[in-house]
Amino acid sequence: MWAIASGIEGNLRAYEAVLADVPRRSRVVVTVDRLFVLGDVIGWGARSQGAMNDRLIERLVTPRPGELLPEVCLGLWEERCLSLYALGPEAGAADLVERWGAAAVEGLWRSVSRSAVEWMRSLDLAVVELDCLLAHGSAVGVEDCLTPQTPPWLWLDRLGRVQARRLFCGRSGLAFRYDLVEGRGDDRLRTLEGTRSRPMMLQGLWGVGVGTVGRIPGLATYCCYDPGRDRVTWHQVAYDDGPES
Amino acid sequence: MKRAILSCIHGNLEAFDAVLLDLERQGAEAIHCLGDLVGYGPYPNEVVERVRSLAIPTVQGCWDEDIVEGLNACECSYPSLLAERRGRLAHRWTDGVLTADNRAFLAQLPESLAVETAAGRLVFVHGSPSSAHEYLLAEMDAFMALERVLGAGADVLFCGHTHIPYARSLDGIQLRTVIAEAPDPQSIPGDAPPVDHTVTVPVRHLINAGSVGEPRHGRPHATYVLFDDESGAVELREVPYAVDKTCAAILERGLPMIFAWRLAKGLDYAERAEDASHVCAR
Repeated sequence: MWAIASGIEGNLRAYEAVLADVPRRSRVVVTVDRLFVLGDVIGWGARSQGAMNDRLIERLVTPRPGELLPEVCLGLWEERCLSLYALGPEAGAADLVERWGAAAVEGLWRSVSRSAVEWMRSLDLAVVELDCLLAHGSAVGVEDCLTPQTPPWLWLDRLGRVQARRLFCGRSGLAFRYDLVEGRGDDRLRTLEGTRSRPMMLQGLWGVGVGTVGRIPGLATYCCYDPGRDRVTWHQVAYDDGPES
Repeated sequence: MKRAILSCIHGNLEAFDAVLLDLERQGAEAIHCLGDLVGYGPYPNEVVERVRSLAIPTVQGCWDEDIVEGLNACECSYPSLLAERRGRLAHRWTDGVLTADNRAFLAQLPESLAVETAAGRLVFVHGSPSSAHEYLLAEMDAFMALERVLGAGADVLFCGHTHIPYARSLDGIQLRTVIAEAPDPQSIPGDAPPVDHTVTVPVRHLINAGSVGEPRHGRPHATYVLFDDESGAVELREVPYAVDKTCAAILERGLPMIFAWRLAKGLDYAERAEDASHVCAR
């Protein structure tokens, strides 16, 4: 069974709460043997101001005995941070400046060490495992925000691009399951050589919003997926969000 | 109104003139061009000047973009190293002969154009609505093709880039979804009943105009499409022209002989996209 989380956003306490909760999801016949973190490990919230970013990365890459080593994908915050170091697709982080101000840009830049930046550079955009795509946004990019309101044809495109049947994403921070139960249509193609017709059919595809670990004060949400039984469950863990003692 | 949609002229003036003559004979009242006016062919300036003189609404193709912004060396635009090497040669030659005026014209071309008609909203792009470098191949997954058309807000989406014409219709589409979401941030899916919904999509069309100047369907003839925006009728046109003249000009003007050979065969020759769903990272 896989535990899948996203959106820690520099909230170390929330992440610790999830790590403590994950072993409880194991049962006699199936244990949680993989932990995925779908991006946004670091963040810049009004509360944290990035204070824990470096510690969080260190906590991720050096699990304690008995803990799973998380498999981490690139998230939007990581991409923004890399852009500040001229290592991302675009220079700077204009949306960050607009929302949080220029001080936030410098603060985010200072909140991660050089080794943390190198670690973020090594992150993949997505993981494809069995027939599942796991990504912060999608295979299109970290900014791709899939939600319950996303039209079904867009979900089909995001699944079809990597020929996946399941898509786990964290960009929205929402917990949901989007079942593409069935689809049909008629596909007619005419070329210079002739015409062919065939039915369009799909069945049993779905997308999952895994929730957010660090965005909601005092409550972390993540999900577990059992690939053997093709079953997903969500879990919420309360944690102390008070000031550091 | 009968509209002629052309694409991928690639500096082939002979082919372009033959198509212009043909579409006039067919009674076309409007012309649209899906870009790639230059590249590989021996008459880039002449083709651009012909388009400008006829005021043909034109979108920017990947070659037009590369000539303006510099060659996109990303291998995603080429399916092989051989194709990339040849592309670089063609780019360098075209870059050397294109006038500043014509370059400026290519620079101001839009990424897409749209027209409202009785047949619905017609949208014109070079590759796909999201990228001039994306190939919308004839046999791409039907639901992904549907997403490209709907994503563009089109009833009919015209594209080029693949150099092989086709007309595809996607009809009778129904998609059923069941969505379970957490009713609030403190809840999880399952705390509220899921929503079962079926959406019906009216017929959509994806039409590829082929290539005027560098066809890849196995014959050297220029291709384009005619579209009747009242009846919705589509005609894939194939137009013979004096290929040997273009081949001779390729050699006279110092372009690689392989371009003339390939043109005479109507082959794609290592330029076929290997992955229909692949999009250039740029």
